[in-house]
Amino acid sequence: MLRLLSMMMLAATVALAGCASKVDYGDATARETVTTDFGSTDLQMIAAKMVDDMLVFPPVVQMTSSRRPVAFVDTIKNKTTEHIDTESITDTIQSKLINSGKFRFVDMTVVERVRKQLDYQANSGMVDEATAVAMGRQVGAEFMLYGNMSSIVKRDSSTKDVYYKFTLKLMNLQTGIIEWSGEKEIRKTRSKSLFGI
Amino acid sequence: MTTLRTLFVSVLLVTLAACSASNVATRQDNDDGTYQTVLHSNNAMLKGRINVVDLKQRNVGDLMQVQATLENGWKFELDFQYKFKWFDANGFELAPEGQSWRQLVMAGRTQANVQAIAPNPTAVKYEIWVRE
Repeated sequence: MLRLLSMMMLAATVALAGCASKVDYGDATARETVTTDFGSTDLQMIAAKMVDDMLVFPPVVQMTSSRRPVAFVDTIKNKTTEHIDTESITDTIQSKLINSGKFRFVDMTVVERVRKQLDYQANSGMVDEATAVAMGRQVGAEFMLYGNMSSIVKRDSSTKDVYYKFTLKLMNLQTGIIEWSGEKEIRKTRSKSLFGI
Repeated sequence: MTTLRTLFVSVLLVTLAACSASNVATRQDNDDGTYQTVLHSNNAMLKGRINVVDLKQRNVGDLMQVQATLENGWKFELDFQYKFKWFDANGFELAPEGQSWRQLVMAGRTQANVQAIAPNPTAVKYEIWVRE
């Protein structure tokens, strides 16, 4: 009896030790399907599709054949019910466009910090005038990238279906014309099944 | 009992190896302008099921664009991932962490076209990787 109890306790200890959680690195580019919420794979799919579509659009190809137009990224309006860091999506899109060698960007999020630095260089008296960056020489953006992210969620007792739609537009600031517009649709479904079949 | 356990471990290892391996498709251009697709396979399960029936490439501006026609030779639905890898003239992979695996679900005995654009104009060669 005592021996049986000792063996049961040993088995329980071994089983509980097996319940300890483990942390490991995974592949950042692998497909992630933990939940139907917006995830890393969705971000990667959207960025890849938007950049690919923009770069092969004939007017954009013509526009970028001999020069690199300057653009800036405005906000992506999050019209879903989730918290989505849309700036993260546009950061990836911006990186890919810059690295393609077809576009250049100005960053509107650092304007105040740049102004502070230029003011320091020009007026603090601590920077050699010959090396100070002159104010008023920045290049103006010609295009604006902006868009929307929306979702439609439907559920019943066993299924949850989430449909995302990301829309991105490239507007010519001088004429107001939208030179390019792209869309990416994603559908994620969660279904409950008996015994995981 | 030992024989059975050895057999079980062997089957498990083979299955796991098959699950983690990828198929690679590359295009070989012949001197007369024709080309053929070469499928490198070290995945026994996918080898007989996914075929690259055609690879097309063109330049859009100075960026390479590739379209691959994949065929599911199996009679059931196939759910797998594919990825494009791009290389420059010196064989260096371009943006190795910038390309993500894309999911594709193909019904039995159907074909699907997948496309991709090179990340920058220095790309001269590509590979298509497929995995489960």
